Amino acid sequence: MKRIGWDHILFRAINLLLIGFLLLPIGIVLLFAFNSAAFIVFPPEGFSLRWFKAFFIHPEFMRAFWLSLRLAATTVIISTVTGTMAAMAIVRGRIPGAKFISALFLSPLMLPAIITGLALFQFYVILDVGRTYTGLLIGHIIVTIPYVIRTTTALLYNFDGSVEEAARNLGAGELATFWYITLPLIRPGVIAGSVFAFIVSFDQFPVSLFLVQPGINTLPIQLFNYLKYSFDPTVAAAATVSIALSVTVVLLLERTIGLQEYVKL
Amino acid sequence: MSDVKKKRGREGMSRRSFIQSTGAIGAATLLGGFPTILRAASPTVLRITGWGGLWETVVNTQVYPPFEKEFNCKIEIDQAFPFVPKLLSSSKTKPIYDVFHCNSNEQWIALDAGFVEEKVDPKKVPNINDVYSYAVSDKIVGVSVLTSAIGLGYRTDKVPAAPTSWKDLWDKKYANVRATYIIGTNSLGSCLFMMAGKVFGKGLQDTDAAFKAMEELKPIKQVDFSGTMEKLLLSGEVQIGVIHDSAIWRHPTAPVSWAAPKEGVLALEQVYSVTKGSDKKDLAYAFINYMLSPKIQKIMVEELWYSPSNKKVTLAPEYEKRLFATDEKVKQLIQVDWKWFNANQDPLTIRYNKVFQAR
Repeated sequence: MKRIGWDHILFRAINLLLIGFLLLPIGIVLLFAFNSAAFIVFPPEGFSLRWFKAFFIHPEFMRAFWLSLRLAATTVIISTVTGTMAAMAIVRGRIPGAKFISALFLSPLMLPAIITGLALFQFYVILDVGRTYTGLLIGHIIVTIPYVIRTTTALLYNFDGSVEEAARNLGAGELATFWYITLPLIRPGVIAGSVFAFIVSFDQFPVSLFLVQPGINTLPIQLFNYLKYSFDPTVAAAATVSIALSVTVVLLLERTIGLQEYVKL
Repeated sequence: MSDVKKKRGREGMSRRSFIQSTGAIGAATLLGGFPTILRAASPTVLRITGWGGLWETVVNTQVYPPFEKEFNCKIEIDQAFPFVPKLLSSSKTKPIYDVFHCNSNEQWIALDAGFVEEKVDPKKVPNINDVYSYAVSDKIVGVSVLTSAIGLGYRTDKVPAAPTSWKDLWDKKYANVRATYIIGTNSLGSCLFMMAGKVFGKGLQDTDAAFKAMEELKPIKQVDFSGTMEKLLLSGEVQIGVIHDSAIWRHPTAPVSWAAPKEGVLALEQVYSVTKGSDKKDLAYAFINYMLSPKIQKIMVEELWYSPSNKKVTLAPEYEKRLFATDEKVKQLIQVDWKWFNANQDPLTIRYNKVFQAR
C-alpha cells in the first residue's frame, strides 16, 4: 500500500485552505440571502426566502436580470463568431500587420475597463448617437472578444496543418474543411473563450456604468445603484441567483460537451 | 495540387474569404444596430439624474408618473453614478441631462465647468418663493429640493447615552467601532473633516486643526458611501458613525438612532439645477417646481425621511419631531463651502490618505 507522505498532506491542506479562502465570500453571500433579518447581520437570525421573493417581484431587478442575460447571450454569439474569425485571420491569414491587429484586439485586456467605458461613452457623445442597447452591446463585445481570440489563437498556433491538407487532397472545399476539420480541432479554444465571454459580459460593471441607457440598467449596475441607497439582503439574493446561473452554465457545458476537456487550456 | 492550392489548404481559408466573411458580419452588426442608435433622441424626454433603491421605487411609482401625464413627457433617469464625468464628457450646448440632480459638492464642479445654471429663476419656478433660505443660499447651485442632516448615527443597544457633541466620536472607547468615510469620493467624509476644523479649531476651513483631529480619530473604519455605513450600523459592526438622519430614520425597528451634535449638523442637500445647454428648459423648470410642491415634498418626506425645503409642507408630529422643517430647526443646518473644498480637494485628499494609510 502506498504511504501518504507529509508533503502530500501539506499540499492538500494548502489547497483546501486556498479553496476555502476563495469560496468563503460566496458562502457569506448565501448566508445573508437566506437570512430572515431585515438587514444584513451576522450571525443570521433565521431561515427565510423573503429576499428571493423581493428580488423576483422587484420590477427593476427583473428587468435588469433579463437585460443582462439577453446582453450576455448576444455578446457570446457575436464575440465567439467574430473572435474565432479574427483569430483565424491573425494566425492563418498572412495579413500585413497581423501582430498589430492582434495587439489591437487584445488591448481592452491591457486597459482598465473603466477607461474603455469612458472612452466609448465619449465616442458615442461625439457621434451624437446617445446611449443605446446597441452601444452597450458593442462595449461588451469589445471587452469579451479578446478572450475568444486568446484561447482560439493558442490552439491555432499548435495546429497540425497536415490534417486540413489531407482533407483538401481528398476533395473537401474550404468551408467543408473548416466545418469538419478545423472547427472541431479548435473547439476547445472557442468554447473556453465563449464561456469567459459570457461570464465577463454578465458580470460586466465598469464598461456598463458609462454605457447603460438611463433607467435601463444591467444587473450589476442595478445592484450597485440599489446598494448606494438601500441596504437589505435583496442584493444578496440577487447575487445568489447570479452565482446559481453561472454554476448552471458551467454544469450544462460539462454535461453537454464535457468541460473538463477544455480545462487543459 | 498546385503550390497556391497547397498554401490555401494549409491556411484552411483564403485571406480574401476571411476578409469577406468578417466584413459581411461586421456590416450586418452595424447596419442592424445603428438605426436603433439613431432613433435614440426623443424631443419629449426629460433627462435627469437620480438615485436607485428606495428612492427609485418611490419616484417611479408615486412622483414621476403624474408629472409625465400632466406635461405629456417621459422622464428618463440616469442612476448609474458617477454623473459628473458623464455630464462633463458631453457637449455644453447639447448636454446629456436637462435637470442635474446630485449633492451640492458635485453641483459646484458642474457649475465651474460651465454646464449648469447657477440659480433658478423664481419667475419660472414659483415654489422657490416658499423655500427656506438655506435651499437657495450662496452655498447652493440651483435649488436644494430636499435635505438630510449629517450627524452621528449610533447603536442604541451599545451606546448607553445619545451623543451630544461631535467630540463624542473621538472618545477612545469607540476606537475600532466608529466609522467615517474616505474623502474625495464621499461628501460625508469631507463634511466630518471640515466639521473637525470647526470643533477643534477656528472654523470649517481650519485644515491644520482638522488634520490634527483626524490623527486623534485613529483607529477608525472608513467606508466609501453612506449605504455601507448604514449596513455597518445595522449589523452592529460599528457602534457610532457619521451618517445623515434619513438613513437612520428609515429603520424604525432597528436598534439604531441618530443624534444632532450641539455644534450643529451639516446639510446634505438634494440639489437640482438646469443645464445651460438644455433644449427643454421650460419643462426642466416645471419639473423642479413640481418637486418643490408641498404635495410631492410630503411624499418624499414620509417615504424617505428627507427634510422638505418648502415651508408650506405640513408634517405629522413624528416627522416634525425628527426632521428639520421649522425656521428654528433649520438654523442648525451648516452649509459648507464646496467651491473652496473642490478647489483644494486634491492636496487635502492626499494628506488625508497619508493620515490614515497603514504603517
